[in-house]
Amino acid sequence: MEWRKIAAKKAVKLLTLVLTSMLIATASAAVYYSMVMQPAVTITGASMRFAQGNDWPSGSSLGTNATWVSLALKAYPNATLTYDQPLNISNTDSASHTFRLRHVSITPASGQPQVGNFTFVNFVVQNTAGVSQASFNYTTSGNTWSTPSTTSYMTLPASTQWIIYVETKAAAGANSDIVANIQIAVDVQE
Amino acid sequence: MLSPSQMLPEFFAFLGIDLFLALSLLTCLLEDRFPKAMPYVYQVAAVVGFGHILISRDFLAVFGEYTRFWICFLYLMVGLANVLALNIYLVALKRLYTIAKIWSGAVTFPSVLICMFFVYQYSLMQSALFPPVLQIGLLASAFVMGTSASVLLSSEIARKLFRRNKEVI
Repeated sequence: MEWRKIAAKKAVKLLTLVLTSMLIATASAAVYYSMVMQPAVTITGASMRFAQGNDWPSGSSLGTNATWVSLALKAYPNATLTYDQPLNISNTDSASHTFRLRHVSITPASGQPQVGNFTFVNFVVQNTAGVSQASFNYTTSGNTWSTPSTTSYMTLPASTQWIIYVETKAAAGANSDIVANIQIAVDVQE
Repeated sequence: MLSPSQMLPEFFAFLGIDLFLALSLLTCLLEDRFPKAMPYVYQVAAVVGFGHILISRDFLAVFGEYTRFWICFLYLMVGLANVLALNIYLVALKRLYTIAKIWSGAVTFPSVLICMFFVYQYSLMQSALFPPVLQIGLLASAFVMGTSASVLLSSEIARKLFRRNKEVI
């Protein structure tokens, strides 16, 4: 009887210690895991950025850190205006990166009478040798914009600059001082 | 970029906690051979280690990695020292040679080896230079420690050793 009492006491003691040990070990592992999984975010300059080209239009602006750009382009009625090298897209990294052009928004929106004043606004991505890599052409049909579909990803080699070539044209007899605002996103894969 | 395989200095504290918990359970199982309070003392030591990593999680940026490593390493060393101390306690004070031999082979030797392995891995991750002589030396000492335990802890040798000590005293 006495032996049984001692054994039971020992079992309870051991069970308590096993349970507390499991609790401490699990909690410690959880804390350690949370420490390992703490993400570290380091701020670095964007590897792909814009740069002013030789044909940089006056009134344009290059944003801080060259991560955005606002081009002030003109369009002549019934004549094609070409900007050979208004803007460059530069890969400053030591590895190549892929990027694409994606339409975001355009104003005046389709259906507005001002739209009919434009014929096209065409953005062409050219490599260093001037060979076209992709065309991103906004055209009109009456008062409706025909927006380009997203381009496929293009590979920009390391430490290389490519050219954004632009062509614009307004409709014959177009009113002056009509402004179209086009927003294009450049998606870069790291 | 985050690397999930990255080993933080707190890993040694985590290892130390596990050592203390194992010691707590073992001393409870062998409660006739150890003081009654031992399991609870080791539980408290494990809780202290847990508290340490809980606090250091919120102060990761305050302490440098160097300081964090030494604090955690010290905690692990205290755990290992306790494993060794219990081994010596079994031999020197309790004269339980068989249990001491088992303890040495099943607890002390694997604990030292595991700790050595992780410290070595950590040093490699930190690009620390371990000269080949030191690497061979560490391996040799671990091997000698493991194998010599069974020889040194034979009852005759230990009896002779402690008898001689008594004569000196």
